[in-house]
Amino acid sequence: MSEPVIEITGLKNYLGNQWVHSDVNLTVNQGEIVAIIGGSGSGKTTIFRCLLMLLKPTAGCIKLFGKDLAHLSDQEATKIRQRWGMLFQHSALFSALTVQDNIMFPMREFASLDIDFMQELAMLKLALVGLPEESAGKFPSELSGGMQRRAAAARAIAMDPELLFLDEPTTGLDPHSARMFDDLVVFLRDALNLTVVMISHDIESLRRTSDRVAFIGEGKVLAVAPLAELMQNPHPLIVDYFSNVT
Amino acid sequence: MAFMTKTNAQLVNHENGDGYLCSGSWSITELGSLASRLAKEPMPSETQVRISGKRIDHFDSAGAVALNNFLTKLKQQSKEIQLIDFSERQLALLKLVESKKDVLDYKTPPPPKHNPLYILGEQAVEKLNQTKGFVTLLGDLSQNFIRTLGNWRRFRLPSIVSNINTAGIQALPIVGLLSFLIGIVLAYQMGLQLQTYGANIFIAYLSGMAIFREFAPLITAIIVAGRTSSAFTAQIGSMKVNEEIDAVQTMGLSPTELLVMPKVIAMLIVFPLLIFWADFFSILGAMFMSKSMLGVDYFDFLSRLKESVGLRQLMLGLYKAPAFALITALVGCYQGFMVQANADSVGKLTTRSVVQALFLIIIADAIFSIVYSWMDL
Repeated sequence: MSEPVIEITGLKNYLGNQWVHSDVNLTVNQGEIVAIIGGSGSGKTTIFRCLLMLLKPTAGCIKLFGKDLAHLSDQEATKIRQRWGMLFQHSALFSALTVQDNIMFPMREFASLDIDFMQELAMLKLALVGLPEESAGKFPSELSGGMQRRAAAARAIAMDPELLFLDEPTTGLDPHSARMFDDLVVFLRDALNLTVVMISHDIESLRRTSDRVAFIGEGKVLAVAPLAELMQNPHPLIVDYFSNVT
Repeated sequence: MAFMTKTNAQLVNHENGDGYLCSGSWSITELGSLASRLAKEPMPSETQVRISGKRIDHFDSAGAVALNNFLTKLKQQSKEIQLIDFSERQLALLKLVESKKDVLDYKTPPPPKHNPLYILGEQAVEKLNQTKGFVTLLGDLSQNFIRTLGNWRRFRLPSIVSNINTAGIQALPIVGLLSFLIGIVLAYQMGLQLQTYGANIFIAYLSGMAIFREFAPLITAIIVAGRTSSAFTAQIGSMKVNEEIDAVQTMGLSPTELLVMPKVIAMLIVFPLLIFWADFFSILGAMFMSKSMLGVDYFDFLSRLKESVGLRQLMLGLYKAPAFALITALVGCYQGFMVQANADSVGKLTTRSVVQALFLIIIADAIFSIVYSWMDL
């Protein structure tokens, strides 16, 4: 396989007078679905923030698509930002725009396409995430939580990213919607050749989607393995995490 | 990865007459106006069309939609199409797009157009509903006030004090400065006329009347409407967006009692004081101007003011305070409760709250004038 999409080596983060990460190493290959799990406050979201260039790590090296994030010009950074999509935990849809305009928003900014064609593309993304066509003209506040999550996913894949970040995509969804969303993630990975990195606490979701799961604890990645294998890991933190899982 | 080097444009070329060759990067950022150019592309005369994807170096869903549209057009002309040299992934993507074809042409219905009469009616109903909502809030407030009278703790003193601070004390510098400037301008304009008649000393009477009865209350009300009504709307509005108002209600508390009443009480306390503050500084401004322009002594000015204008006119201005206080506080709070859960709404209603507060203040001022003239005051 070609070079890894994400390569984190020796990531350290010192935030709020404490070391959140002491030594995080993680590699994600093209086409993989990798989940990041760990107890509350273990720094999962902080890793995401570092990857998304929202936070400058205290030390360590993060390479995305083979490029070191620490040494990027503004232009290169913008280019990389166009190659990923992010689904925020609370959807973060623009409340003043309709769903269709939300999906078209990055297209308008970064591509020079005709409006009709953009609308067609937006409808395709909408169909891909399984939203009914009437929802295109609706405002986010008129949609249910699950539909908002889907609309946000449609916006995340608007620019055909190669890399998709999902922050707790199934939290707060009913079990049926959550399983549909899992299928959607796998479907998108297969259809659009995506690499997916997600934070999730939903074991069922991990079971259905993830190729590998990285367990964060004690400021580092304690283990990276397929879920079934990870659940057998004897490390006390991991045993504790899975202790109540049936 | 080939698409790291985003290659040139992308075109569909005739290849030896019997087909097309797709080349370049068919990606969303590189596609440009190709989609519309494809729609205008003249149809080939042959019945068999070969399309080659040999030179495509990046093909994403945008490219797939563009190509699929072209294929659909060809099929409508009942051409036989052969796709060659496309990778399996590209074909899969194309197939995926084709399977979703039905929804692609969906256009969001345009907002319905209405005739002017309909709009007029709609606006009228909206205004009526607003009046109704406003009256309801006033009623709710009165009811809560009476209920609260038996229990001092429910007056929420800390909240009242904090509102007095933000709406009153922090407004002192700006009210003082603007009133002072208005006093100067007023005295100057009047002085120009009085000078020509040699009636300099009347400046005290004229500016005193104008300031006490109209200018000081109005200037204060305008500043408070701009500062405080908008702040009330924004505060209650963002609480509404955040579902905090719902939280208060589910706890069995009344948002009116908790949020509106302290604000109204604070405004009722602060407004007369602010008007008096404005009176003071306006008179000060007028006095300075009279001295430097008309040569009227400070002592003469003040004694003349006391004789000809007196406390009575000052009180007539202060009587307006409760009405103005109620208007600015209630309009601000009411518009806050009207906020919907989107980012535009807070901004729109904040603007509306200022405009409406000013509108109602001027109406109220006019009513005061009429009533005063009936009473020969």
